[in-house]
Order: sequence, then structure tokens, then C-alpha cells
Amino acid sequence: MGWIGFAARLLVGGVWIVAGALKLPDLDASVRAVRAYQLLPEAVVPAVGYALPVIEVAIGIMLVVGLLVRYNAAVSAVLFLAFVIGIASAWARGLQIDCGCFGGGGYDVDATEKYPWEIARDLGLLFVSLWLVRRPRSQWALDNRLVHDGTTDRTMTGEPSR
Amino acid sequence: MSKKQSKATKQANMQRASERAAAIRAEHERKERRSRTIVVAASVIAVLLVVVAIAWGLQQGGAGEGQTSSPPDNVVDEYALAIGDDAAPVTVTVYEDLMCPYCGLFEQASSERLKEYADSGDVQVRYHVVSFLDGKSSDRYSTRAANAIGVVLDTAGPEVAVEFHDALFANQPEEGGAGISDEQMIDLAVGAGADEEAITGPIEDLKFEPWVENATDAWSKAGFTGTPTVTVNDEKVEVEGGEDLFANTEQAIEEALKN
Repeated sequence: MGWIGFAARLLVGGVWIVAGALKLPDLDASVRAVRAYQLLPEAVVPAVGYALPVIEVAIGIMLVVGLLVRYNAAVSAVLFLAFVIGIASAWARGLQIDCGCFGGGGYDVDATEKYPWEIARDLGLLFVSLWLVRRPRSQWALDNRLVHDGTTDRTMTGEPSR
Repeated sequence: MSKKQSKATKQANMQRASERAAAIRAEHERKERRSRTIVVAASVIAVLLVVVAIAWGLQQGGAGEGQTSSPPDNVVDEYALAIGDDAAPVTVTVYEDLMCPYCGLFEQASSERLKEYADSGDVQVRYHVVSFLDGKSSDRYSTRAANAIGVVLDTAGPEVAVEFHDALFANQPEEGGAGISDEQMIDLAVGAGADEEAITGPIEDLKFEPWVENATDAWSKAGFTGTPTVTVNDEKVEVEGGEDLFANTEQAIEEALKN
């Protein structure tokens, strides 16, 4: 069981790190990518555009090293759900935009063909994130070191208490 | 009797001892929990700080040395290089990125015809240059070219700037490689009629980079996500699959001229 969790952490965390890191060099592009969805009011678009890449990389790092796995996996699941809704809604409204998932964003001629695959990918990662919420204990995680004896409550790292 | 008493004392002693032990355990647990909370909080904050610091370090822009956030002289509508009468009844705005291949094709198709419209006095053509394709060249050509257009507009006026703009598109670099070098851009600008001494510093220092960023922001906030995008009297020229942007633009201009 510990190894499945470890693999899940590496997969989801790795995707977050790559996705966030590709956006970090050009945060203005990230803002434009968020704006292109035409879902959020302009007042919050820049904040979301600037914050998302930072949050993505931070969650990714914490999942990979296994810090607060349950909480980070929960945030990860919420974000994937939001992305699925965003992409599906762009598709439904006939917008032709690059999802901006790994940097980029804006107009894309082939957008309509990519939407199904992007949604499928995010649903898959959503599922893996939820799995980690249910079973956050895994191999080689910093969380394991934070709960070394049985006297402390273990809800913080998701280990069932005795 | 004494035996009984001592038994009671023993029991009491034992109870006290176990209470003490429980108190010590509780204290230990409390400390443990607190130190763990501190470690966790510190780790989370450290991770966030590191990522923010990296993001900060990676950002380009902000007004650096030799840069200004004020727009170039001779600019129209804050961000545009314009040809034709300011009072013309029809305004055509072309949003383009010097790095965008479709903008190059649109230029080839439209450049001459739009000049004729501008000369007629009934149409003002506004080139609103944006920069969002820096990632498509190895040397931020998108931003450098947009800045250079601002510099030429600022120092030599719109006629020369349009010539320069056309020359940049005629020499448009391929995606993926290096863009036109600063030196080559200066040569092209001088060829169009700009003063070499006046433009060299501002082109090299990216004097109008903040203005270029604002121009890109304005385009994005107007709801546009791609280039070339054309508006006729602020109405976006739509392109359905297979249609030609310039053909639709001409049609929109003709309709606007009738009203």
C-alpha cells in the first residue's frame, strides 16, 4: 500500500511542479490564460493568474516530499475539479482557447480537439488526488517522521489514531 | 490494623505516582504536538517562500534603467501606431505580434490596401502591437520588436514607423530561432527614415518595454486571445472556419463606409 501512495505522490506532485514551473517565468501570460476562460471577474483575474503557478509548484513539492499529504492532496483535487469545470465550460461555450495547463494559453485553432483529452487527463489526476486524501500514508514521506511515536494524535497526517 | 492502614497508604501512593506519570505523559504529548505544528508550519511557509522567491527572480520587466512607462510620442489611442486622418469616420485596429506568422501573412495580404484606405481620408488604420510570443524566439524578439516600433514612432513619427513596421514583417524571423538582432532592426529603421543616433540607445535599453506590457494587457483585457485580431469601429471582425481575415476585414470596412 505504501508504494502505491508513493507513486501517486510522485505522479501528481510531479505534474504540479512541471505545470507550475513552466508558468513561473511569464506570470503575465498566466494572467492572460486565466482571463481567456472568461469565467472570473476582472477584479480577481490577476490575483488568480499570479498565485496559481506558485501554489501549483508548492503543492507539487510538498506532495513529492510527502509533507501534509492529506491536505495537499485535497487542495490538488479541488484544483483539478476547478480545471475540469473551466475546460468543460470553455468547450461548451465554443471558446477556442489553449487550456494554459502547462504555460501558454490564449487562442488555439485545435482547441476543440484537445478539450476531451485535457478533461480526461485532469479527471485521472483528480482521481489519484482523491485516493491520496483517503490513504495519505505512503513510503518515504516526511509525514512519517512527524508521527514517530504512538502517543500523539495522527489526524494531521491522516494516519488512523489507535 | 496497621497492615490495613499501610495498604491504604500504599494504594494512595501508587495512585499519586500514576497521576504524576499521566501528567508527565500529557505534558510530553502537548510539547510534541506543539513542536510538530511548528515544524509543519515552518516547512509549508519555507516551501511557499522559496517558490515565490523563484517566481520573483524569473520575472522580467518593471521600469529598469533607461526605461519609461510613459507611451511614445505620436501614439494614437495610447497604444497604436496610426496612419490616416484622426477624424476619419472609420477606424480599423489591427492587433498583431511581430513574431506571429499569421500576422505576417495578414500583412502581406492587407498592407497595401489598408494604406489606400488611409490615403482616402475615410479610414484611420491603427496598428496595436502586442508582445505575448517572447517564448517563440530565443531572444525575446516579440518584446524587442514592439519596443523598437515604439522608439521609431517616438523619434520619427508614424509615417517612418509604419515603413519600419512593414520592413520588420517583410523580414519576419522563423519561430523557434533567434529574432532580428537589435543592429539589424536599427538598420531597417534607418532605412525607413529614422535617425540612427536617436534610436540606438532606446532600442538597446528597451525604453518602452513597460508600454509594450501595458499594450499587451489592454489587448488581453479587451477580451482578445489571439493575433492577428482586427476590429472595424471597435467591432471584432469574425472569421469562421476557412474564411479569410482580410476578405472579411475589407467587407466590414466597406459596410462601415456606407453608414
